[in-house]
Amino acid sequence: MNAAALEIIIGEGTCGIAAGAVEVTEAFKAEAPTAKIRAVSCAGMCHQEVLVEVNSPKGYYKYGKVTKKEVPQILGFLLKGESQLAEEFVLVAPEVPATEANGYMTQQTRIALRNVGLLDPTSLEEYEARDGYKALRKILGLTPQEVINEVKDSGIRGRGGAGFPSHMKWSFAAAQQNDTKYLICNGDEGDPGAFMDRSLLEGDPHNVIEGMLIAAYAIGATHGYAYIRAEYPLAVKNFGLAIKSATAKGYLGNNILGSSFNFEIKIKEGAGAFVCGEETALMASIEGERGMPRRRPPFPAVKGLFGKPTIINNVETLSNLPWILNNGGKAFAAYGTEDSKGTKVFALAGAIKRGGLVEVPMGTKVGDVIYGIGGGSASGRKIKGAQLGGPSGGCIPASLFDTPIEYAALQKTGAIVGSGGMIVFDDKTCMVDLAKFFLQFTQLESCGKCTFCRIGTLRMKELLTLISEGKAKLEDLDLLEELCVKIVDNSLCALGGTAPNPVLTTLRYFKEEYIAHIVDHRCPAGKCKALITHKVIQSDCTGCSLCEKACPTDAITGEPKVAHSYQIDMAKCINCSMCVEVCKPNCILVE
Amino acid sequence: MTTSSLEANVEPELVKQWITELGGGPSSTVPLLQAIQGKYGYLPRKAMDLIVEHTEITGRQIYGVATFYAQFRLRPVGRYMIKVCHGTACHVQGADRLNTALRHSLNIHDEAQDTAENGSYTLENVACVGCCSQAPLMVIGKEVIGNINGAGAQKALRKHARGVQEVLPKAEKQSVNS
Ligand SMILES: Cc1cc2nc3c(=O)[nH]c(=O)nc-3n(C[C@H](O)[C@H](O)[C@H](O)COP(=O)(O)O)c2cc1C
Ligand code: FES
Repeated sequence: MNAAALEIIIGEGTCGIAAGAVEVTEAFKAEAPTAKIRAVSCAGMCHQEVLVEVNSPKGYYKYGKVTKKEVPQILGFLLKGESQLAEEFVLVAPEVPATEANGYMTQQTRIALRNVGLLDPTSLEEYEARDGYKALRKILGLTPQEVINEVKDSGIRGRGGAGFPSHMKWSFAAAQQNDTKYLICNGDEGDPGAFMDRSLLEGDPHNVIEGMLIAAYAIGATHGYAYIRAEYPLAVKNFGLAIKSATAKGYLGNNILGSSFNFEIKIKEGAGAFVCGEETALMASIEGERGMPRRRPPFPAVKGLFGKPTIINNVETLSNLPWILNNGGKAFAAYGTEDSKGTKVFALAGAIKRGGLVEVPMGTKVGDVIYGIGGGSASGRKIKGAQLGGPSGGCIPASLFDTPIEYAALQKTGAIVGSGGMIVFDDKTCMVDLAKFFLQFTQLESCGKCTFCRIGTLRMKELLTLISEGKAKLEDLDLLEELCVKIVDNSLCALGGTAPNPVLTTLRYFKEEYIAHIVDHRCPAGKCKALITHKVIQSDCTGCSLCEKACPTDAITGEPKVAHSYQIDMAKCINCSMCVEVCKPNCILVE
Repeated sequence: MTTSSLEANVEPELVKQWITELGGGPSSTVPLLQAIQGKYGYLPRKAMDLIVEHTEITGRQIYGVATFYAQFRLRPVGRYMIKVCHGTACHVQGADRLNTALRHSLNIHDEAQDTAENGSYTLENVACVGCCSQAPLMVIGKEVIGNINGAGAQKALRKHARGVQEVLPKAEKQSVNS
């Protein structure tokens, strides 16, 4: 069979590239030069990267975890009838029944993500072929109020974290009389551990642009900014290309599609400050100032960027709009629950078997995402809980995994829906260490304007450090809680207002771990360096010498190839656990 | 080699060209600084002075912005940057071990230092590069290297160094799988 009959589709999002997608593409080009090779962006099956799909006369095949080594065999199978790759690589094939890994996609409901991973993000034509810019044509025949009504029917609430009903925010700005209004797309994605906005910007940029057009039309904005996180070069690139091609085709610019609607978009790259995800700080940043939040009122919808009425919407919020306008607000509201409508994207990561992007109807149980779609624990160890919502969110224990993903229900647990970060952890994660990690983050990212946020978070970090070193007293836990309350009450913006959440929730659900550190001077997860020691279980040692090579301080000595010979010199050991990572027989004990 | 010998040689013409391209109003402060850092890897004092001299941006403003945002560096950097992700997913999966390992390979033992003595590499911590499913990970140059442990980070560094013909500072000993 001729290679020209093959269409080979390779996932070249940031994560695909990280897994070696470029090498795989090169290999296909070299071995099957006549095949049609397309690059699409990350479909969110990050655990399976590099993902390769093939449309061949034999049918549709989808392969996961492909490296350049697998390429000859894939082609050999498809073109010459040689043997197929091992089962673990074959995710979809006409001759095998749907696999479990397959369920990763089929258990999802993709609205915001509907095109991501299916189209070439640099191709306007591919977006148009999937109903692209159809919603734009539709709204040009509607009044702004009709657009707002449709979005009101959808019940969508902001996906950037705060969950404010989008139509309400828009109404405030629409009511303002002003020649210049701004619409800002918030692509700062500050939660360290979340990547849905990256995938949307990178994988379906025209959809975000169309969403911006809809929002801009509804509020009467003529100028738009896309504020994109500094660490997302591919998102900046793809979004920039999309602006260019959309402008060339008359979807952006003056008199859009012959109407009287004018709208242009500029990209602003962030410069690495978490607080700039906050609306007023973000605007200060675009204006060229230090990104410090300011007091409201005035609200941005009244007096925002450069003093003009401004609406800021999150990337994912905007990504839902074209679908909502095409299918009707009611169709969106048919998903979800009374309190939370539609679907939400989560970035599933951590100690999870199948990590990646997951879009599910609101109201889905946390556990269904983690065990059902995510496949549970990666290591086979017991899952202890999950962190939802990043530095503003909270940790919930596995016993609460029956909680539905809803604004109100999650709030009751102390966690939040947030922007959609979901980090799963097993018993190797220390909750004190995790709380310390988040406080370190917020303390560093506090802009310094409010005393409680600036100094309170520092004090909390110090206390958590003392606890992690076994040097704290039980009374310190009360002090910690008191600080939490004071910081929440006395901070201007939500950075300080939510910073204590990771501590409050870990104290609530995992207090015994705090007590183990304080009273028993023990870190049950074996993570806090001051409280652990490393020891070789000599009876299990095979003498493989890997630990000795990994040890950065020469603390491990023994005789290569001689079983039971290795030991660790405690005086030299810095408890970095690098030996544990490489030890094959698992014979290094951390206590 | 000390970092002072890594000081960039600022070309005034280039800075003026950026001002023409990006504008000289206050809202151009961040883009101008990004252009400077994109070229020199950090913000040389001389380049910032040129901005103040040729635009309406004041010294207060440019220094305020340069010190506020985590992206900007005021000290020279090595010839290559290594970013180690310390986002939540990477932290939980052991990102600190990548730092321990890389610091060892680069022979950077002083906590306050982040650049190898020979000016080859600079280590930088970043908060999430958005590939959390491949945690823990690092970025050398533009390449994201995921799902690695400490030993893997050292191996990737050696591979990169070979590719660009950098000599790694002599660490006390060789590591796994070299
Ligand atoms: C400290 C802080 C960081 C934030 N970071 C982000 C962010 O990275 N991305 C985002 O969309 N919203 C972020 N937000 C929320 C925004 O302020 C804002 O509520 C949101 O962008 C509004 O869009 P939405 O209504 O579509 O959700 C952050 C808020 C705070 C207080
Ligand atoms: S946490 Fe490291 S890539 Fe997101």
